[in-house]
Amino acid sequence: MNTAVAKPSMQLLEGATAIAESAILAGCRFFAGYPISPFTPLLEHMSRALPENGGVCINAESEIEGANMALGAGATGAMAATGSCGQGLALMQETIAEAALNETPMVVFNLARNQQDYFQATRGGGWGDYRTIALAPKDIPEAVEHTQLLFHLSRRYRAPTLLYGDPLLAQTRVGVHLRRIEFDELPPQDWALDGTGGGTGESRQIWTWAMGKATNPGLGPDGHWQQVAAKFDRIAELEQRSEQRYAEDADTLVVSFGSAAKFIEHVVEELRAEGHRIGWFRPISLWPFPGPALAGATAGIKRVLVFELNAGQMLEDVRQYARDRDAIRFIGGVSIHESGLSYGPLLDAPEIRARILAAIAEDSTRSTS
Amino acid sequence: MTSARPAAPPAELQLLLIGIGGQGIQLIGKTLAQAATNTGKHAMLAADYGGEMRGGPSNASVVIGTEPLRSLPILPSATAAIVASHKFAGPVPQRLREGGLLLRNSSVVDSGAGREHHRVVEVPATAMATELGAPQASGFILLGAFNRLTGLVPEAELVTAMTALLPPYRAQHATKNAEALSAGAAAVAGQEAPR
Repeated sequence: MNTAVAKPSMQLLEGATAIAESAILAGCRFFAGYPISPFTPLLEHMSRALPENGGVCINAESEIEGANMALGAGATGAMAATGSCGQGLALMQETIAEAALNETPMVVFNLARNQQDYFQATRGGGWGDYRTIALAPKDIPEAVEHTQLLFHLSRRYRAPTLLYGDPLLAQTRVGVHLRRIEFDELPPQDWALDGTGGGTGESRQIWTWAMGKATNPGLGPDGHWQQVAAKFDRIAELEQRSEQRYAEDADTLVVSFGSAAKFIEHVVEELRAEGHRIGWFRPISLWPFPGPALAGATAGIKRVLVFELNAGQMLEDVRQYARDRDAIRFIGGVSIHESGLSYGPLLDAPEIRARILAAIAEDSTRSTS
Repeated sequence: MTSARPAAPPAELQLLLIGIGGQGIQLIGKTLAQAATNTGKHAMLAADYGGEMRGGPSNASVVIGTEPLRSLPILPSATAAIVASHKFAGPVPQRLREGGLLLRNSSVVDSGAGREHHRVVEVPATAMATELGAPQASGFILLGAFNRLTGLVPEAELVTAMTALLPPYRAQHATKNAEALSAGAAAVAGQEAPR
C-alpha cells in the first residue's frame, strides 16, 4: 500500500444512512414510512436527521399511509419521499400511480430484499397510463448520487421516481464523500398547493381527473391523461441511462443490473484477464429501459447472457431489444437467503463465474456437434 | 470454487471475520473499519449474521485500501482471516488466499486444515480475555493481535474507534476492551510480517 490518503471528509456510513443523508442534501424535508427490513435503518436515520434539518419524518401506521403522506407533502411543494422494501411497495402502488397521474413529485426508496421487484419497479401495479423513472445503483457511492438525481428528476417532470436498492446497498458500510450535487435549474413550482391562492379565486388544484372547478374548468381526464402519456413518452426518450464495457470486441455479453452488475463486472474482468472475449452491459435506468443502447451493444454478439436474481424479469426487456433474440441465455435465478431477508448463494463471484463458463461451453458444444 | 487460486495480490486488505453471535465479531469489524476511515483510508464493512443474538453464525468482511475500493461486498477470496470460533469456520479454507494470514482463537479453534497453505498465528483469545476479567472481550484480543501483525492502524486509533462505537449502556466495557487490544498485540509481538 502506498501512503496516499483519502480526503479526511470521508465518512464510514451504512448504505441506508448514506442514502438518507444524500436525500437531505438534495432538499428532502418530508419522509414517511413504516419499518421493514432492510429499509428500517433509512427510516430510523430520517427520524433523527430530518428534524435537525428543519424537516419532518413520520413513522406511519402502514405503508399505504406513509406513501399517501408523502404524496400530500409533495403536493404542497415539499421535497417528499417514502420507502420500504418490495413487500411494502406492493401496498403503495395505488399512491405511486396517483402521483404519476396527478403529477406530484415524490421519491420512493425500495431497499429491497432481492431483485424480484424488477417488474414492480418497471411496470408497476397501479392503474392508468403511467410510468415511474426507476434507477438501480450498483453500489453505495452510486446510490448516493442516484438519490439526488431522483429528487431532481421527480421535480423536473413532476412525477414519482424510484430507487431500487437491496440489502447490500442498505447494510454495507463504506467510506463515502457526501456532497450536494448541482443540477440544471428547475421550472418554477407554480403548481404547488402552498396556500398562497386561498381566497383569491385563483386557488390551485391537483386532481388526477383534472376536471377543475366550475369557474375554472380543467382539461378533464381525456386531455390530461393524453398530456401525461406524452410526458412519459418524452421521459422515455430523454432519461435512458446505461453503461457497458468491452462490448465492441466481445463474443459474450452479460447483462445485469444493480448490485448483481458489480459482481458481473468483477467476474468479467477476471475472465478477460484469462483471454475470454467477454463484456458487460448494465441498464442504470430500469425504466426507461436503455433499449437502443442494448441493441447497439449486442450487435455482432454471439451470446447474450442475462444475470439477475429472480426468475427472469429484466430478461423480457432484453428480449425486446437484443439484436438477436436467439443469442439470449438466462443464467440468473431465484436465490434467497434462508432468513428470507437477503440474497442466497447465487450472488457470489465463483458461482456466477461457473454459470458464465458453463453457458459458453454449452454453446461451443452445440456449435461443434 | 475457483477464485481462491493464486492471482496477483490485491492492493486491498480483504479480511474475513468468522465467529458466533456474542463474540463481538460485528463490533470488532466496525472498530477496524472505523479506525481505518479515521486514518484516511478507504474501508468497507459487510456484515452477515442470522437472527439469533447469541450462538448463531456471525461473520463480517472488512476491506481496507488507500484508493477507492474495488472489492465486492461478498468476498470471493480474502487476504486474511480471523477465526474466533470453530463452529462456522467452514468457508475460510476455500476463500483465504494462499499465503494469507489466518489468525485463530486457539482457545476454541483447533489447528486444523489450512496450516500448509496459510500463515497461521494462534492466540488463546478466550482464555486471555477470561484472565483479564473480561470474557466478552476476546474479539478485541484478536483484533489487537491482528492489527499488530499487519500494522494497519496505530493501536490508539482502535481504542478511539471502539470507545465511540460502544452504546452508552456498554460504555463501562471500554477500559477492559482497550486492555484486551493491548494484550492481543503483546501476544504476537515479534511475529509481525516483514514490511
